Amino acid sequence: MNNETKTLKEIITPSNKEVIVIAEQLNNDVRPVTVELLGAGRDLANKLGGKLSCVLLGYELKSLPEKLISYGADIVYVADDPVLKNYQTLPYRRVIVDFLSGFPLPPHIVLLGSTTTGRDLAPRIAAHFETGLTADCTELDIGPYEHTSKGDPEKLGLYPGCLYAIRPSFGESLKARILGPWKNPQMASVRPGIMVPLQPDNNRKGEIKKIPVSLKPEDYKIELIEIVHEVSKSVNLSEADVIVSGGFGIGKPEGFEIMKELASCFENSAVGASRKIVDIGWVPYQHQVGQTGKTVRPKVYIACGISGAIQHRVGMSKSGLIIAINKDPDAPIFKFAHHGIVGDLYQIIPELIKEFKLNKAKEVRSLV
Amino acid sequence: MANIKDIFVLIKQVPDQGAKAGINPDGTIDRAKAKRMLNPFDRYALQAALHMKKKYGGNVTAITMGPPLAVEILLEALEHGVDMCYLLTDKRLAASDTLATAYALHKVIKHAGHFDLIFCGLQTTDGDTAQVGPQIAERLNLSQATYCEDFKIEENKVIAKRVVEGGYEWIKMEPPALITVANSYHPLEYKSLRGARMVQQLLRNESEKAKYIKTINLDDISADPLKCGLKGSPTIVARTDKVSEIGGNCKIYQGAPVEKMVHELIVSTNVSEFLKT
Ligand SMILES: Cc1cc2nc3c(=O)[nH]c(=O)nc-3n(C[C@H](O)[C@H](O)[C@H](O)COP(=O)(O)OP(=O)(O)OC[C@H]3O[C@@H](n4cnc5c(N)ncnc54)[C@H](O)[C@@H]3O)c2cc1C
Repeated sequence: MNNETKTLKEIITPSNKEVIVIAEQLNNDVRPVTVELLGAGRDLANKLGGKLSCVLLGYELKSLPEKLISYGADIVYVADDPVLKNYQTLPYRRVIVDFLSGFPLPPHIVLLGSTTTGRDLAPRIAAHFETGLTADCTELDIGPYEHTSKGDPEKLGLYPGCLYAIRPSFGESLKARILGPWKNPQMASVRPGIMVPLQPDNNRKGEIKKIPVSLKPEDYKIELIEIVHEVSKSVNLSEADVIVSGGFGIGKPEGFEIMKELASCFENSAVGASRKIVDIGWVPYQHQVGQTGKTVRPKVYIACGISGAIQHRVGMSKSGLIIAINKDPDAPIFKFAHHGIVGDLYQIIPELIKEFKLNKAKEVRSLV
Repeated sequence: MANIKDIFVLIKQVPDQGAKAGINPDGTIDRAKAKRMLNPFDRYALQAALHMKKKYGGNVTAITMGPPLAVEILLEALEHGVDMCYLLTDKRLAASDTLATAYALHKVIKHAGHFDLIFCGLQTTDGDTAQVGPQIAERLNLSQATYCEDFKIEENKVIAKRVVEGGYEWIKMEPPALITVANSYHPLEYKSLRGARMVQQLLRNESEKAKYIKTINLDDISADPLKCGLKGSPTIVARTDKVSEIGGNCKIYQGAPVEKMVHELIVSTNVSEFLKT
């Protein structure tokens, strides 16, 4: 068996070794996921011995390209045009497809954020180029791959420099390593809040290049008519050791007060929320945890009256200890929490507060 | 009134992860043994298609790709009130990734004739990629709106509300368009009595069933087998590692008096010790 793998011939899929990050910007700032991708992309580009570049689309982008250089990009390709002010599928698709088609050799890797924008756009680009795309990755790496499967003999070979796109799968119970070394660019979307950005360095040098915008009539088939974005002030969710989060189960906006009280039993704590209670206006957006809110990783996460929808889960599943309180024993949250109390949160939380306060008092006494 | 009449809905049969059957010790699925169900995300897409029909008239066609047994979810769709179904089934489709799946499904869509709107679920529970919908839209050159939780038709345009970071946005599209429906949309209603009765009859009459459920293969839709299945898939799963059990790991406190449950929880989690680490 080993003999066989030794005779595998090395196959190099043509590429220019470039790693390209597709940036996301909103209200003239780049989204956090973009600088995270630059951090991850820098590592991949170094391993490949290629350049890290970033494509930035928008309008009146001012000093954003410089910012992207300070976060690690060697080249920033900029399309600055009024039609690109806000994300829209078809114009963005056109500009990026045209841009990627312009390379004599394709880039090696293209990365996007696994946001509602990235997951709208990435599959269109991948389908256009008929190349592989892995969704919602939580780890990326570069390495070799020996393809020995007899199912498709024409692909047999040893492929160096593959993108390892690693993602949770099957209800986050498995980690899958997905590869597609047969064609470049190899594409992945990456979950926000996971990759680590570089420290910005204003002395870093990089190139800024303009790229053309030439839309076709069919790119105007979709019109953005209204955007409702709550501007988020920051709340220290990302740094908190303990997060107490409330969901629709709190039943009324005032219910959030008891979350705060429970959180106040701990030092360095914060209160979080599900999207549902943000959407109905009970709690401001800055508290939202999840795919379209914050990704958090506290030591302890206490979910109260939260059902545990996948979009909530991806934002908090890496927490050290997950405690769920829910009156429905079949709530999905009990599938991934570590401890779960089945019951009415209005009975359980006051009791928890009492016990935690008591514990604290005991600790203080034992110190004296 | 609206000219948007022909509605397709794409659905998939997935293993039921709630049932333990067919889950291998290494965490992978044995699809032959696993219990099967309609992808939970597709229930919203199905409801969206049926709502459209109720509101604006027209016909709903459900399309799936899978093994012959996937006919089960088409029967379920008929019970809920869809008008017509297609089942694409072919051994050459095995091991299709999202690109190959989208290729095959776009061929079915072309084969199935005129459409104004296509609804898809947000993602599947066995793939979690949310890629197939937009990849089909690309192949068919369609307008698209992903992550939608509301939609309506005004002056022959489709207006959709997308869930996005920090809020939502409304977009207006020219049909034909593809919409992926968020799981914050209305849950699927009960089966219709009429639908359920019809399915009972179809189950007794194969030729009648074949009128409502067209079973087709790659040749019927002139699909290129090299673009399907393993051969047509640019990605493969090179390895999987188990990270946790699917469920079953949660320590549940239930049925006891509140003080007792809370006390037990606090003792067994030892939160204050935990925080010191
Ligand atoms: C594109 C997209 C992005 C999204 N992004 C996010 C996101 O970032 N974050 C997020 O959270 N969601 C997000 N969602 C929404 C998500 O799908 C769910 O709709 C949402 O998380 C549900 O919120 P919930 O758990 O508070 O409400 P519900 O699902 O309604 O659950 C309420 C729970 O409270 C329990 N309950 C009720 N009363 C009590 C009581 N008295 N005591 C104890 N328990 C009680 C119920 O049993 C139930 O389980 C997103 C959806 C989409 C489509």
